[in-house]
Amino acid sequence: MSSHRTVTRVTGLLVVASFVFAACSGIGGGASAGASAGKMDDLVAAAKKEGNLTTIALPHSWCNYGEMLTGFTAKYGIKINELNPDGSSAQEVDAIKANQTNPGPQAPDVIDVGLSFGPQAKTDKLITPYKVATWADIPDKAKDADGYWYGDYYGVLSFETNTKVVKNVPKDWVDLLKPEYKGQVALSGDPTKSNQAISAVWAAALANGGSIDNVQPGLDFFKKLNDSGNFVPVIAKTATVAAGETPIRITWTYNGLSDKDSLKGNPPVEVAVPTSGRFGGMYVQAISAYAPHPNAARLWMEYLYSDEGQLIWLKGYCNPIRYDAMKAASKIPADLAAKLPDTAGAALPTLDQITAATTAITTGWPTTVGVTVK
Amino acid sequence: MSGSPGGVNRLGQGIEAMQSPTTASTPGRPRSFARLIWWFVFIAGVVYFILPLLGTFVFSMRAIPTFSAYTDIMGDPLFFSSLAYSFTVGIITIIVSIALMVPTAFWVRLRMPRARPIVEFITLLPFVVPPIVLVFGLISTYSHPPLPFTYTDIGSSALLVAGYVILSFPYMYRAVDTGLRSMDIQALTEASQSLGAGWLRTLATIILPNLRVALLSGAFLTLAIVVGEFTMANFLARPAFAPYLSNLSSSAPYQQAAVALVSFGLTWIAMGFIAILGRGSRTRVTVTGAR
Amino acid sequence: MTGTAMPLNAQGAPMARPGRRRFNLTFLGLVPFAIFSTLFLLIPTSYLIVGSFLDSQGSVTLQNYAGLTDPVPINAYVTSIEISFVTALAGGVFGFLMAYTVISGGLPGPFRSGLMTFSGVASNFAGVPLALAFVFTIGRTGLLTTFLAGIGIYPYENGFSLYSKLGLEIVYFYFQLPLMILIIAPAIDGLKKEWREASENMGASSAQFWRYVALPVLMPSLLGSMILLFGNAFGAQATAYQLTGGFINIVPILIGNQLTGDVLHNVGLGYALAMGMVAILGVTLVAYSFLQRRSERWLR
Repeated sequence: MSSHRTVTRVTGLLVVASFVFAACSGIGGGASAGASAGKMDDLVAAAKKEGNLTTIALPHSWCNYGEMLTGFTAKYGIKINELNPDGSSAQEVDAIKANQTNPGPQAPDVIDVGLSFGPQAKTDKLITPYKVATWADIPDKAKDADGYWYGDYYGVLSFETNTKVVKNVPKDWVDLLKPEYKGQVALSGDPTKSNQAISAVWAAALANGGSIDNVQPGLDFFKKLNDSGNFVPVIAKTATVAAGETPIRITWTYNGLSDKDSLKGNPPVEVAVPTSGRFGGMYVQAISAYAPHPNAARLWMEYLYSDEGQLIWLKGYCNPIRYDAMKAASKIPADLAAKLPDTAGAALPTLDQITAATTAITTGWPTTVGVTVK
Repeated sequence: MSGSPGGVNRLGQGIEAMQSPTTASTPGRPRSFARLIWWFVFIAGVVYFILPLLGTFVFSMRAIPTFSAYTDIMGDPLFFSSLAYSFTVGIITIIVSIALMVPTAFWVRLRMPRARPIVEFITLLPFVVPPIVLVFGLISTYSHPPLPFTYTDIGSSALLVAGYVILSFPYMYRAVDTGLRSMDIQALTEASQSLGAGWLRTLATIILPNLRVALLSGAFLTLAIVVGEFTMANFLARPAFAPYLSNLSSSAPYQQAAVALVSFGLTWIAMGFIAILGRGSRTRVTVTGAR
Repeated sequence: MTGTAMPLNAQGAPMARPGRRRFNLTFLGLVPFAIFSTLFLLIPTSYLIVGSFLDSQGSVTLQNYAGLTDPVPINAYVTSIEISFVTALAGGVFGFLMAYTVISGGLPGPFRSGLMTFSGVASNFAGVPLALAFVFTIGRTGLLTTFLAGIGIYPYENGFSLYSKLGLEIVYFYFQLPLMILIIAPAIDGLKKEWREASENMGASSAQFWRYVALPVLMPSLLGSMILLFGNAFGAQATAYQLTGGFINIVPILIGNQLTGDVLHNVGLGYALAMGMVAILGVTLVAYSFLQRRSERWLR
């Protein structure tokens, strides 16, 4: 072979390789590190070309997602197609599974699910890795080392109280047992199904002699609550709180506080983080491996984890995952920081602890607290 | 008809009465005590129906200012567009469902009574298949060639209509079957065929008109299902009414209550239209004599 | 010979067209229905059947079906059947009465279309709006509860609760009743007025008319409608979920827990539970077919 042809051949290969590499990093998998300025522009251009983003299970009042969605569209001109706002984490994952071959608007690009769903989705090969520009700011405990899933925000369980009906706001778990609260306390979901409700039982365990690894006291607490007649066995929503049917609702701080804002005093609502038994729940973001708009999905992630996005979540009373890093860099405005309730000391469980506790609570609830019919 | 008893003459008149076509549903001669009972039953039912709606209304009025829950809705274009979409899908579903069910129920009754248990079982299946399983099954099957329904908006809407027709199976089949039961289709078909009509003509001009009441029932039920259905419209990403209702920030409980009531009212009015359309003449065709 | 008997006309003579040829065409009449059901119902249902034999890793197992014999699912099936049966019966009887009232009971004409159209809407008023409507009405702080308290009646002090099996049945009644009204209306309409008059002319009392003429004629339709009501209540999920929050154990909620929730789920078990429902529905249908054949026997 003449050296001339070899050089041409190698150069040709290198050029092709670089095209392929550029193409790949733009479209398929590859745990490419976050976008630097030049790459960011490329990402924005590619995302704009896709023109659409499909999200799922993002209620507008949850962590101020409403502003996040409109902000993204305003900034980049990319239309967002919202699916199933009231959906559960399982429905989000199922939607990816069912739409694997579907490039239409029914297939979600990005998901926001409970922590335990991240690793499972990774095992099931339903999500694809991506590390945002601010990756380093995310605590190690809150992300997958390979970049498949990453924590986005967390909240703490609190008591949302309709102060028109309940004059004396309960401040701690033990208060809930007081006879003055007869028929007034409710959970926001079914403890055999809903993350929020399971977390409530867990938090009660922490406040009653249990620990992160021992949830039985939580089940016992709810049994006591139910036997005393204080517990209302219905799923509490904003409507039932406002109606006075479930004037004390155990829910995440951000839900309670956003209710307080939107009800505007009709009726007045107070949100109290219990003094003991503080429990935090974290959610994680991920990009679907079958996303019809992978570049828009990545741009969405960049937006969420940018200073702007994190502050939008903060406005929604959620603790954004980059909070500590941003605070250190003085990027948190004082007035926003003041609005966040005091959640010091909240326990944030690991994945294994979640799996163990979830099993214990979902199997223990029917037998301890009683699913027998009156 | 006077009340004098007995006599061959009377019997003759009775038989004649049975043979002549009459308009349905004019009251007989209920005695006044019986009438009182019926009124009581009716009022009890009405009270039961109204109370929860009243409760919802009273709740929705707690918004400040009082009617703001309703004015908010009226100002939301998405409310009307999503309701219009659901109504349109509903009408199409009704038509397809009738076109599918009437010949099927007719054929089963007339020619294939052995097939009846199987057909009935299939029509009852939608009750026990969880809607989420149904919609994910549909998406998985039809999101790629050879039948990529989900690739286009029209295709997705068509898939939704198909899904709704399936959901309407139990109600439409039962309504049509009940309606067919009360007429002698064997005799009617034979009479029509002996006069030279083919199957299609028989179905369209003889059977269908006599099923008016039954079809109206089925149509009402189908429309209500379509307007109220959430899971399938949601996962197929269609701009239908129930997803819109659920989208309303759940932090706005008064608006949600108001929307529930308003949609109830609007659907009721839509049904009123269907009822008027279906009124026509109420003559019933009777062919045979006394049995 | 062909499976179907020789078609006869009303006089008992064989039909003009040859029966043999008809046999080949007979099943064709069901082809559109068969195609449509297969495409849009049976294929998605096959995912259900196949999935019920798989575990979370995707390998074949019978463990899901074994799971059906645990106390919680068994209790769920019993409760579901009980609630569905009670509301089907109550809805059936009262729905029949109400439908009869407006069709033949001497009430003014417009009441009929008003009730029919209202029933149309009410039959599908379910899920969260219905549950909330009842919370607003007979919940602890509901409209009716408060009114009754004003006149000295305290249902909640005396053991009543909306959040109980009875409460759930009262709520289910809201869509069972209108469903029955709509489904039985054609049958009542078909009750020929002449029969009533002829029976009166022959000296029968109202009770005898009902016992010997009306009820036997209506029985197949009544049974068929109640089966429908049973199935309707059996599959109802959203209303119950909102209203009971995990305290009343019915199968659709169990299925929902497995299929869609915030906790890791065993989808195969959910599918097996759904197959259990299919089986129960099948059994109910067999019982109904038997009853119906008996009640139809004398009609032909």
